[in-house]
Amino acid sequence: MLSTEQAPPITVPLRFFAMAPLFLLLAAAILATGNSFTDAPLLLAATHCLTLGFITMVMAGAMQQILPVVIGSPMPASKSIAWLTLLPMSTGTLSLAGGFLYSNPALLYAACLILGFGFLIFISACLIAIYRAAARTSTQFALLLAILTLTITATLGIILANGYASGTALDYSKLTAAHISMGLGGWVILLIAGVSYQVVPMFQLTPNYPGWFSSGFAPALFVVLLLGLVARWWDVISLGYLSAGLFWMLAVSFAIITLRLQSQRRRRVADATLSFFRLGMSSLLCVALLSTLALYPPLQEDLTTLSVVIFITGFALSVIFGMLYKIVPFLVWFHLFRGGVKKGVPNMKSIIPEVWMWRHVQLHRATLLAILTASIWNPARWLAITGLALQSILLSYALFTAITIYQRTLKNLTNA
Amino acid sequence: MIALDVRGLPPPEPFEQIMLALETLIKDDVLRVLIHREPYPLYEMLRESGYRHQTTALPDGNFSIEIGRAS
Repeated sequence: MLSTEQAPPITVPLRFFAMAPLFLLLAAAILATGNSFTDAPLLLAATHCLTLGFITMVMAGAMQQILPVVIGSPMPASKSIAWLTLLPMSTGTLSLAGGFLYSNPALLYAACLILGFGFLIFISACLIAIYRAAARTSTQFALLLAILTLTITATLGIILANGYASGTALDYSKLTAAHISMGLGGWVILLIAGVSYQVVPMFQLTPNYPGWFSSGFAPALFVVLLLGLVARWWDVISLGYLSAGLFWMLAVSFAIITLRLQSQRRRRVADATLSFFRLGMSSLLCVALLSTLALYPPLQEDLTTLSVVIFITGFALSVIFGMLYKIVPFLVWFHLFRGGVKKGVPNMKSIIPEVWMWRHVQLHRATLLAILTASIWNPARWLAITGLALQSILLSYALFTAITIYQRTLKNLTNA
Repeated sequence: MIALDVRGLPPPEPFEQIMLALETLIKDDVLRVLIHREPYPLYEMLRESGYRHQTTALPDGNFSIEIGRAS
């Protein structure tokens, strides 16, 4: 999965991974200042801390590791690109959250500029890497489509934030729906699927995803998302139902195939990453059900918001936590082990103690339950907020433990 | 020829076992590894450590890798 000649320095992905949990904590802090989860400015600010500050931050770090590995083509100038992405993504997300919270146009304009710059650099670097790749594989195509949907999501986001800041009359509901469907349905699902094709069989010892699925899923999802955009923009209701139906069929098939592969794994031992993945895929199935029920008009508004919340916290966060707990110890081990057998390289399983991962699984399950309860009983939101904050602290602790072990072992190996 | 079966082991156990087995290899010995996935990262490590390898995809979906010292 990795190549020492092409893999970026371990510091490149780890910086993104270390920064991301701070935005989980910030999302919890923002939600704690309001009276309910339906308070729009708070919800917008907290949601972007989760989607941009956490999810996209981790995925941008992972992308720098994945591109050289999966398509054999690293990002150009990986260290510089990492800084030119990490800094704008962090400061831009802060500025955006501040802009939403305080309805401050200057902060929103600043966020547009900073995030626009960061995404321009990141997306260009990804496209260069994909263009330079010699091989043409289905995973590469999935990554290209994920980047294209990120481009559309970011562009729509900048148009919306600019519109809010300037008070321009825009069709906000259509633009917002397109921004959400491209961001969550496109960027998040496509990248998670592209990475799962590699990570699930490798780390969970399952059979490979069927060839027809790994080559057909991403293009089909992308076409369906474009159909959805067309239907929404020109109010073609029948096409809208068709694209929504096809989208959920594809998403459900991804969840079911992943769960089925995991049930066929060679080693039937308990594993925290596997539990996170199963929770994520079950949440995706739950979101599909909620989104179908949301077609019934009286339930539409409540269930649509709940679907988005469960998609982000139940599906995306679960899978990302699971991936981090496998990828980070493996990267630390791999970068220490390279060059051959050395005494003093820790066992991969001891880099992040498994007991911490299991505590995180349980905490995440409890947080999701609190989020669901809060949708019908508002005081439960305090449990959800506390759960989110504790998860941020636990994840930071786990990641910094791994980084400390890496630095200490490297020092010992160098001095030996 | 020394045989090593690492099928079904989670990462990084196949890596570790292969690299440990290579430590015991005498000059012209060859290590034959049976593994369930093609281990791309191993190839770089082998090159860095002065070994050559030949991989054969088996009909049952596993891989056989013969590893010896680079001449």
